[in-house]
Amino acid sequence: MLVLSIAAILSFSTRLFSVLRFESVIHEFDPYFNYRTTRYLTEEGFYSFHNWFDDRAWYPLGRIIGGTIYPGLMVTSAVFYHALWFFNITIDIRNVCVFLAPMFSSFTTLVTYWFTKELKDAGAGLVAAAMIAIVPGYISRSVAGSYDNEGIAIFCMLLTYALWIKSVKTGSLFWSCLCALAYFYMVSSWGGYVFLINLIPLHVLALMLTGRFSHRIYVAYSAVYCIGTILSMQISFVGFQPVQSSEHMAALGVFGLCQMHAFIDYVRSKLSVEQFNILFRSIVLMGAVVSLSVAAIGTATGKISPWTGRFYSLLDPSYAKNNIPIIASVSEHQPTTWSSFYFDLQMLTIMFPAGLYFCFNRLTDANIFIIMYGVTSIYFAGVMVRLMLVLAPVMCILSGIGVSSTLNTYMKNLDVSRKDKKTSKKNVDHTYPFKNEVATGVVFLVTAFLITYTFHCTWVTSEAYSSPSIVLSARAGDGGRIIFDDFREAYYWLRHNTPEDAKVMSWWDYGYQITAMANRTILVDNNTWNNTHISRVGQAMASTEDKAYEIMRELDVNYVLVIFGGLTGYSSDDINKFLWMVRIGGSTDRGAHIKEADYYTPQGEFRIDKEGSPTLLNCLMYKMCYYRFGEVYTEGGKPTGYDRVRNAEIGNKNFDLDVLEEAYTTEHWLVRIYKVKDLDNRGA
Amino acid sequence: MRGVLHFLIGLTVIFCIECKVKQDAIDGAIVNSKVDRKIDVSTHLVKMSTSITLENTGKSPIKSFLYALEPSLQNYLSIITANVKDKDEKLGVSQTTVASKKDLSFWRIELPSNLEPGKTMTVDVDSSYAHALTPYPAEITQSQKQQVLYNGNVYFFSPYSTKSQTTTVTTTNTAIESYSKSPKPVSQTDRTVTYGPYEQREAFSEAELRVHYENNSPFLTVTNLERIIEVSHWGNIAVEEHISMRHTGALLKGPFSRYDYQRAQDGLSSIKAFKTVLPAAARDVYYRDEIGNISTSNLKEMDDFVELELRPRFPLFGGWKTQYYIGYNVPSYQYLFNKGDNYALKMRFVDHIFDDMVVDQVTVKIILPEGAKNMRLETPYPVTQGENQLHFTYLDTTGRPVIVIHKSNLVEQHIQDFQLHYTFQKLLLLQEPLIVVGAFYLLFLAVIVYVRLDFSITKDEAKESKMRVASLVEEVQSAHDRRSALYQSYDDAINKYKSTKDANTFAATRKKVDADYKSLTQQISDLQTKLKNEGSDLAEKVNELQVSDRQYKDLVALAITLAEKLVSGKINKQQYLDNEKINKTKREDLDSKMEALRSSLA
Repeated sequence: MLVLSIAAILSFSTRLFSVLRFESVIHEFDPYFNYRTTRYLTEEGFYSFHNWFDDRAWYPLGRIIGGTIYPGLMVTSAVFYHALWFFNITIDIRNVCVFLAPMFSSFTTLVTYWFTKELKDAGAGLVAAAMIAIVPGYISRSVAGSYDNEGIAIFCMLLTYALWIKSVKTGSLFWSCLCALAYFYMVSSWGGYVFLINLIPLHVLALMLTGRFSHRIYVAYSAVYCIGTILSMQISFVGFQPVQSSEHMAALGVFGLCQMHAFIDYVRSKLSVEQFNILFRSIVLMGAVVSLSVAAIGTATGKISPWTGRFYSLLDPSYAKNNIPIIASVSEHQPTTWSSFYFDLQMLTIMFPAGLYFCFNRLTDANIFIIMYGVTSIYFAGVMVRLMLVLAPVMCILSGIGVSSTLNTYMKNLDVSRKDKKTSKKNVDHTYPFKNEVATGVVFLVTAFLITYTFHCTWVTSEAYSSPSIVLSARAGDGGRIIFDDFREAYYWLRHNTPEDAKVMSWWDYGYQITAMANRTILVDNNTWNNTHISRVGQAMASTEDKAYEIMRELDVNYVLVIFGGLTGYSSDDINKFLWMVRIGGSTDRGAHIKEADYYTPQGEFRIDKEGSPTLLNCLMYKMCYYRFGEVYTEGGKPTGYDRVRNAEIGNKNFDLDVLEEAYTTEHWLVRIYKVKDLDNRGA
Repeated sequence: MRGVLHFLIGLTVIFCIECKVKQDAIDGAIVNSKVDRKIDVSTHLVKMSTSITLENTGKSPIKSFLYALEPSLQNYLSIITANVKDKDEKLGVSQTTVASKKDLSFWRIELPSNLEPGKTMTVDVDSSYAHALTPYPAEITQSQKQQVLYNGNVYFFSPYSTKSQTTTVTTTNTAIESYSKSPKPVSQTDRTVTYGPYEQREAFSEAELRVHYENNSPFLTVTNLERIIEVSHWGNIAVEEHISMRHTGALLKGPFSRYDYQRAQDGLSSIKAFKTVLPAAARDVYYRDEIGNISTSNLKEMDDFVELELRPRFPLFGGWKTQYYIGYNVPSYQYLFNKGDNYALKMRFVDHIFDDMVVDQVTVKIILPEGAKNMRLETPYPVTQGENQLHFTYLDTTGRPVIVIHKSNLVEQHIQDFQLHYTFQKLLLLQEPLIVVGAFYLLFLAVIVYVRLDFSITKDEAKESKMRVASLVEEVQSAHDRRSALYQSYDDAINKYKSTKDANTFAATRKKVDADYKSLTQQISDLQTKLKNEGSDLAEKVNELQVSDRQYKDLVALAITLAEKLVSGKINKQQYLDNEKINKTKREDLDSKMEALRSSLA
């Protein structure tokens, strides 16, 4: 109990690095959207939130917010907010949002304990809880300020799993209903619920195949599936997908199979063996034919939607790269590298197989579930960096089981041998020499592992995951800290010094931040639902000034915003993202003239200096980033216009902008804003 | 109904304001014998200090005189004060009207003593005007310097005739583009333009005065200021100021180039930073805006004030706006005074924001502690008091009263203290701690009640039986422990008997131990029956325990017999020792067996 509460508190406090080091702000991009919608929800109430049509984004299309988001996160924090205000605790909604993720991660710690206890025992539960409290793979998405769906979704997911295990174990309707409710919460908060609704049927299927199917499982699954599906359809973004889209078909199929299996079991108990065999064969054949034809007809008539791109890319990692540049352009959707596995999980990667071994050792219904969860999630985490998040909890649970079982085994030996020493040395087991020494060694090893794990986690958390990307900091020459607050400088400038209805064009990464902080209308944002629209923006950025001007007039753009790191050495700026703009811009019909190859040198290099391709040196993005940069000395001993990110002197220095004028550039040139000039007066 | 009430209140307020404005007539007996006017336009304010020598040419003494505002400036007036030359005491100044000159704005200045016929008196009148300077050209590029235009009156605009007068205009620097050169004499030296002296001018005489000059001083205007003062009787006053500001100079034309701004250091008229002066006791100062902390500020603690150098997120060019808020805490003993339950809060109505500040609109909200009553406000200048509000924050039940005050067009001279009197019962201070204590008390009480009560609808037999078994087992174990102790007493008694050979004492001791032993054994077998009734298989184990115990008892009896034999000399020592050794081994075995049984019970 004490250990558990310490773990829960630890999991909260370890996520506060960024607040202490910077301030209580929202990080990253998506959280800004969530923050904005939450504020809207608390100010306007649920119904207007539900019916909210946002005209600030996707100009001129707009976006129906209420029907295209998972509202769980916003509703949760709004509930917290109103509850606190009811008691006259006047906390700012921003602080509720900032601290929601750490709070939920401490809930996650508790749920992990419970879940692992259900799987193994309290000891393993404690180890797992302590591990998940500080595992970097989970911290990366739940530090204070990272106000994202995943923060609460992991909690919901583990809660659903724990309740599922509980209902499988007891076969009680009560637990199944609770499980369905937890599933509903999960559906309302994250699109990753699809993983869950496929994993549970997979578990049931595995149980059926291994002949462990029983009435308990029948009751549990039927209840969870029926109630869960009906509840999940209440979320307007999900709608009828649970019965129409192919991602959910597995669950439906298993549900049907479940009924058949139960029916067959019933029939078998009434019939003799031969009769039953004949009946069984014919029914299986018929069933297979019927379900296949139904699926075929459904797909053909469009009742069952084909799989979405993200799912294809899950099954085939190279799919996105070849077909959908917009998905591939997000760094979170890249396949995971080995080093990031170690970075995010450290010793868990080693203890994970041990935990699996112990689970196989004592196979139960529940253990089968955790094995399936572990194996599937490790595959998904390998495909997409983002899904590391799904893997982290199971890693913790299995490692918890592993560590706890190992220690249990060897601690026992340790105790025995010590007693032996005290009384007499008669009972030394000759089949197991150096029992005590081996045991001591193993115990020390595991302890050392755990200690290094703790240090590693703390280090990773404080170094890698606790910097709000909105405020950058760097070490100055004299050891002091320099803070680059350019993003907020620019957004705040936009907010106060542009017309209320100005339309800002930028690459989609910054869309959410602009709407939330600058409160201006934008063309594209991080909800990348309209590929052609993003492609149009990409075309504008990749075209020459004249062509871009046409596109900008067509899209009614007033201001253009670019991120430029050449002066400070900030590497994730728009020039480095530029190739994606070219690819996405060229991926639609209207942008067919934009070819990636044009932007490379004949040797196939992407260069911004004199050698670079002329198409690149004259495109809008290049000009906006390097406008008047050619006159600046950035580093001693280098010529003017030396780009510190790409370590090259820019190739096109003295040029003027015809259709744009510089409206604002931040102190460290990180954000540059241009105003689109009006058409010339006729005859002027 | 409420609306009607508000309307009525509004009407009354308007009516009161109307009746405050007095009517005056121009007294022809007064003559300005000498007027010396200094107009300072070096900042974005127009500061006019006029030294007027009044002469009473009439027959009756004069109590007050009228001061007329120039028509071109009368909409811009921020503050007007007057004092007798070389004396600090402020004279009463109030707005008034004159029936014959309806469109002009007059101020009546009360003299400290009656001005007898034929006497003269010199009065200094200071007035400040905000937004009276017009940028000309109205739009400039980043590298251009800002030039402004001052339009005024060459003559002292007075309801009385003036015998002799001079006017000097002080500009920012020597770069004066042009100035009106009539009526003569007009002269310029360095940064001052002198008009006059002029002799014998009629009342209300006018002639255009126009100065066009370079003025790069910060044209910074606070368009809206909300100052929130939260008083806590626990010793703290929290002040928070929400400030919207705007550069009201010449608008920026064309692009803003960061390169030029950084390299050439141009943008002379732009505002990069300004200094705010806070009270010396200010602590926990913060500087933020709606999207977070603004990291560009410096705090310097001086002896009698705290200087805060604020840099907005971006430099302010003409027409650019920004918004921020700063807040700090001050200890209440410097500002809050009390006598019994009567309290008085004495604080600045507005505080310093930057030098030569201009505040267009200010709203001051004073949040008093919960339970404060009978509020009465005293201000150094007229203000509009809004309707009181209620504010809810931590641990409030009925809400804190909030006094709301509005005022427009303020300058530095308005930094003056207001006083707010109210009553507050000291006992109410305890209210909030008591609420916390009560809440925790209720929580603990609820937990206590919850733990002790059984809320289950059906009784869980198995669980209850389990618990009963557990308690029985515990009893068995403790009884057995005591019994084991008794075995030790047997041993002790035997040893003693062997050494003393006192058969009587031995018999007595033995009898006593026997009785204890019997009762314990009885107790255990009772418990065993109960366990059996619970249907627990532990009863078997207890039975086994009893069997071993009986064997042990037999061995003890054997040991006693042996000892008796030894004492009575029926066996020799060697025989006794041999027998005793066998016996002892058996006893030890049984003992460890019983121990194992005992611990297996749990």
